[in-house]
Parts: sequence; structure tokens; C-alpha cells
Amino acid sequence: MKLHICHLYPDLLNLYGDRGNLLVLYRRARWRGIAVEITGVSLGDPLDPKLYDLFFLGGGPDQEQGVAAGDLLTKGPWLREAVEEGAAVLAICGGYQLVGRYYRTAGGDILPGLGLLPVYTEAGNSRLKGNIAVRSPCLDDPRPVVGFENHGGRTFIEAEGSGEPLGYVVFGFGNNGSDGTEGCICGKVIGTYLHGPLLAKNPHLADYVLSLALKRRYRGVVLPPLEDELEWKANEAFLRRFGRGVGERENKKGVTLARSAAG
Amino acid sequence: MMFKLILCSLAVFLGRLAALLCRLAGREATSLPGYIALKVYPGLLGQLARGLSPVIIVTGTNGKTTTSNLLARLLAAQGRQVVSNGEGANMPAGVATALLKGARGKGHGPAAVLEVDEGSLGIVLRQVSAHLVVVTNLLRDQLDRYHELDQLASSIKGALAQVPEARLLLNADDPLVASLGGDGREVIYYSLERTPLSRTRPADVLEGHLCPSCRVPLAYTYYHYGHLGSYRCPHCGWARPEGAFRGEDFHREEDGFSLDFVFNDGRIRLTSPLPGVYNAYNVLAAGSAGMLLGVEPSVIREVVKDFRPGRGRVEGFRLAGKEGVLVLVKNPVGMAEALRTVAGNRPAAYVVAINDLAADGRDVSWLWDVDLEPLLKSPYARIICSGLRAWDMAVCLKYSGVSLEALRVIPDLEAALREAVEEPVDYLIILSTYTNLALCRRLLKGMGAQSEAAYMPPVSRPA
Repeated sequence: MKLHICHLYPDLLNLYGDRGNLLVLYRRARWRGIAVEITGVSLGDPLDPKLYDLFFLGGGPDQEQGVAAGDLLTKGPWLREAVEEGAAVLAICGGYQLVGRYYRTAGGDILPGLGLLPVYTEAGNSRLKGNIAVRSPCLDDPRPVVGFENHGGRTFIEAEGSGEPLGYVVFGFGNNGSDGTEGCICGKVIGTYLHGPLLAKNPHLADYVLSLALKRRYRGVVLPPLEDELEWKANEAFLRRFGRGVGERENKKGVTLARSAAG
Repeated sequence: MMFKLILCSLAVFLGRLAALLCRLAGREATSLPGYIALKVYPGLLGQLARGLSPVIIVTGTNGKTTTSNLLARLLAAQGRQVVSNGEGANMPAGVATALLKGARGKGHGPAAVLEVDEGSLGIVLRQVSAHLVVVTNLLRDQLDRYHELDQLASSIKGALAQVPEARLLLNADDPLVASLGGDGREVIYYSLERTPLSRTRPADVLEGHLCPSCRVPLAYTYYHYGHLGSYRCPHCGWARPEGAFRGEDFHREEDGFSLDFVFNDGRIRLTSPLPGVYNAYNVLAAGSAGMLLGVEPSVIREVVKDFRPGRGRVEGFRLAGKEGVLVLVKNPVGMAEALRTVAGNRPAAYVVAINDLAADGRDVSWLWDVDLEPLLKSPYARIICSGLRAWDMAVCLKYSGVSLEALRVIPDLEAALREAVEEPVDYLIILSTYTNLALCRRLLKGMGAQSEAAYMPPVSRPA
């Protein structure tokens, strides 16, 4: 069994440890005896829609994201073809905005996206940033998906579209800070604002993405469970610290320590 | 006017009183006196800086503390009186604290070498008219505070516009820093030429490697680390500016490095006991600034030869018959460079203490952007993850390929350090984010650690 992953714009969209997601997918496949090939595809490179099972798009700084956005539109037909033929897509933060329908800037300009997800994004006044936990109905395992978000855009899922939220916010902001949704899933295309990186402390979601990708070429693949003690401990420690106000007390104590040490 | 004068005097008095009380209580005061004084009179920085000449400001992501300490040392060795916030307290309160200690009214006062946090530059330059501003590098750091490098670069540009008279000394090898020049003022560049450690492919996750005018990726002939290297825009031809000061023929030595420091009409060989290519940059920045301020090349050679920052990024110690290093890590490029420097061929026990408080950066996903290769290749006997984000570090190491047998998670720092000392190896490597660092020092001291690098008192203080 072999998994083909296409990493789009690894040199431009690489903020916030996003490459860690590929490392997590790679290891979790390898630990189960599945071969993995990751190919970087960037500006001006051709893209073979038949070749890949999963496309990964990270987030980037504004400048880099703008450069990638222009090129991505030229790759749009190939990507749409790949998705129609069963490829999965995982797009994070800036990448999430790029696979949506459009981004409306503060000046009112509309920057078109790929339209792989029925969402649109509008520029906001402030950045929505901080630790976040969401519950995802897509996952059999009910434990929350945790991460960090940091985005200026407000994303909305189109009411009449076929997209569903990837999750519902337990704490944090999510898509727009107002409707309680986070991310979007439509068929095998997933977009989300979570990094940390996303898949590191969420082995259930990592395996879900893996199985979506494997489905393109292999039927009825069942992923045997892995030893995920560390990952779940990290997930639990995160929830203990930020989920119930415990984190605040720790923070205050830590800051006092740091201050007194610095004088 | 009268009211302002009274407020200002009161601020200075209260600040100095706080400093005195801290000293009496046996604590070093690097920020508190300035914090109090600025609360009383926010315009105090400008008042205090009036009697100082020249005022040199050092900013950038990495290397501020070492560069400004070395520069202050150079000026002192040339016979100047120097005021400096050499303890790394680089927010406005830290700057004010240093100035409170040093400034004495008007007239031809001492020189000031001030390290300023890149995010505080605007506030400081609004009040303090600097004569020379040194920018070391702009690397990805604390994304939750300065979320993008381009924005940081433009905010620095805006801050610099407030001091149009100031000369700029810029690192030519960093395209983002180099692009800060070109607004008509006097700009001097320093650069490091190809070294045996240079790479033709980047080892770190890149940012800030686009041409500032064309927005296309720059073509590099080599990289030192991060996006620092020799570059040219394939579209418009914009390229690394020629350095008026250059480091050539860099060699890694048994203890530190040596290089040729090349300037207008001369060249001298410098040897430094400091490790790593990043310290070559610190020496180049301080040496170049020193030359601009009239320090003799021979003085530079002598001072650099023996200069070890008391509290730089790598602190050596001995504990229970073992050799140890304590290293501050705060961003991907800095941590990768630290690992390249301290992870060697000797079996070592590691403690990696990661916190996520405001001063560390609340978002810890940067850990996954660190090039961990030097650690993975080294013969680590044990890696203990500690701090508030111990589990995050452990997951990152697991996926990076560290064997689970070698990995332990002990969030409590004291327990982690005690465990590490028990390991049957004679080399301890402790990597710590900012808010764990002071606690690490205190705990190690409590366990009987002896500092290897002699602690240096702050450079000369005017009487």
C-alpha cells in the first residue's frame, strides 16, 4: 500500500509548524506498514491530478499567501479534477481561506479562491488568536480536537451549500468568533484554522484524514490502532490547562515567577 | 512646564529609590525601577537620554544582548564611559532602568548602548534620538506577538523614520533587514562571506526570502542559517548589498571561531571563544559599530579574544562532576543554531523546558519548525521534556524520530533537572524558553552548580 501526498507551496505556506502535519501523517502511515511519498509542488510547477491521494496546504504570511494564491488559481482545474476523482484535501489557516469561494479584503476587493469548500472569508478588525478546542461530529472518538488559532479573517459556511462545520467550538473563536462553528468539511475536503500543528495532539483526526486519503485507491482499509499515549496525554494536559480555568492560575503564578526573577 | 519638571524629577527619584531598595533586598533590578519611573512620567526616556552621546540602539530578533554587551565592552576598552541595559531587559522599562542608573544631567555625558526589543523600537525612538541603529536580523519569533515578519519590518521602518538623522548599520545577509535601507540616509552594511558550514539548500523553514519589490522568491548562492545568506532577485536583480564590513575566511575552532574582519583599508584576524555562526554575526555587528564609533582595530581584536557574555544564550556550568550548558531557546532558527552548537559527539542527557507564557510566545507550534537534525544525530542518552508544554515537546520529538525509551516527560522543572543529573553521562544540555530560564539558574545553583563562564559585572558605570 502506498500513499501519495502533495505538499502545495512548501516554501511559501509554512507558518506555525504546519509541516508537522505531514510528519504526523507520514509516521502514522509508516508505523502501519504503508509507504508514503510526499512531493512538494510550488510556483509554476505542473500538477498531475491523477497522482495524489491527499493535497496539503498550510498557512503563510500575507505576502507569501498572495503569491501562492495567484499561482493556485492556475492550478485550480487540476485540483478540482483530482477532488472529483476522490483525492482528499487538508487546508489550514491561510490555505483554508484559499480553498474557499473568496476572500473579501478590508477595502472591499474580492479575491477569488478555488471554491473547493462552500465558505467565504471577510477581513476582520482584530485577530482571533488563542488556544482552542472543538468537538467534531465527523470523528467516532468523542474527545475534542485541540490547537491554536491566529487569524484575521472571519469565515462563514454558506447556508445552502453542502459544507458542514468540521467541529463546534468548546472554547476559542473558530471560524468567525460568532456562530460557534470551526472549519468546514465537504466530501473529502477539510479546511480549518487550527494549528499546533493540527494533527499532533489529535490522533483521531490524523487517522481520519489518513483514511480519507487511502480511500482513493484502496477499499475497506481499516487502520489498526497505534500506541498514542503521549498524544492523548498532550491533548488532556491542554484541556486541563485551558479548559477549566486551571490554566489561568498557572499563568499568573508563572508570570510572577518570571517577573521577580527579571527584577 | 513646571509641573512636568517636577513630575520628571519625582519619576527619577522614585525610580532610583526603587533601584536602591532592590539592591538592599539583594535583588538585581533590571526593569522595576524604570517601570515605576515611566508610570510617573511617560516622557522620561527622552529626558534621560539627553545627556548621552552617542546613543546606539541594537535591535533585531536574535543576537541583541550579545551584540550590545560586546559593543559596550569595546567602547569601554577605548576609554568611553558607557551606559547599557546589558542584562537583556529590552522593553521600555528595562531601557529606562539602565538610563536611570547612568544618566547625569546635560553636557558631554557617557555613551549609551541600548538593546531594544523589536516591538518596542517605535516607543523608544519616539523619545530617544539615536545616533546609530544596528539591526541584527529578523527571524520568525513569537508569532502570536508579531504575527508576520513583513509587518514587523514595516513597523521597524516606521520607527526608524522618527530618527532621520540616525545612521543605520544593517546585516546585509538578511534580505528583510537589508531592505530597511534605501530611504536616503546613511546606511552601512556588514556581511559574512561563505563559510565551511554554509549550505546550498535551506535547513530551516524559510520566511522573509521574497524580493521586497517583486515578491518573487530570491535565489541564494548559499545560506548561513534561516534566510541569512547571499541572495539575488532573479527578476529585478536586487541583491545582497556589499558589506563595508565583512567577515571572511571563517573557521570553526576547538573553542569558538576565527575570521578575518575586513574593513575599508584593512583586515585583522579575530578569534572568539563564542560558539556558532550566529556569534560570528554578533562579533561582526559589534565590531562594525565599534569601528564606526572610533574604536581601534587592535582594541577590537583584544576585547573579542576574551569576550564571553556572562549571560548569553549558552551558559556553561559544572554540576556533580558533569559538564553542563544552559541555553535559552525562543524561536526555530535560534533553537536549531543552539542545537548545532551544543549537540556534539558526546552522550548527553537533555532537559527541554518549554513554557507558553506571554514572554515565551503562547503558540508552541514553532517547536515543529525547529531543525532537530543535530539533536537526532547526536548520541542522546535521555531527553526529558519539562515545563508547561512538556507534552507538546514530547509529541514533537516522538514524531521526529526520538526513541520512546529515551524520552521522558516530567513537567516539574526541579524533578526534571534532578532526574537528568542522575543519568550516567557526563554532559548535560538544558534548553529552556525565557520564563523557565531564571528558575533553571536558581534550581541549578541550589543543586550546587558552579558557573563556568565567570559572571561579568555590567560595563563601566559613571560615578
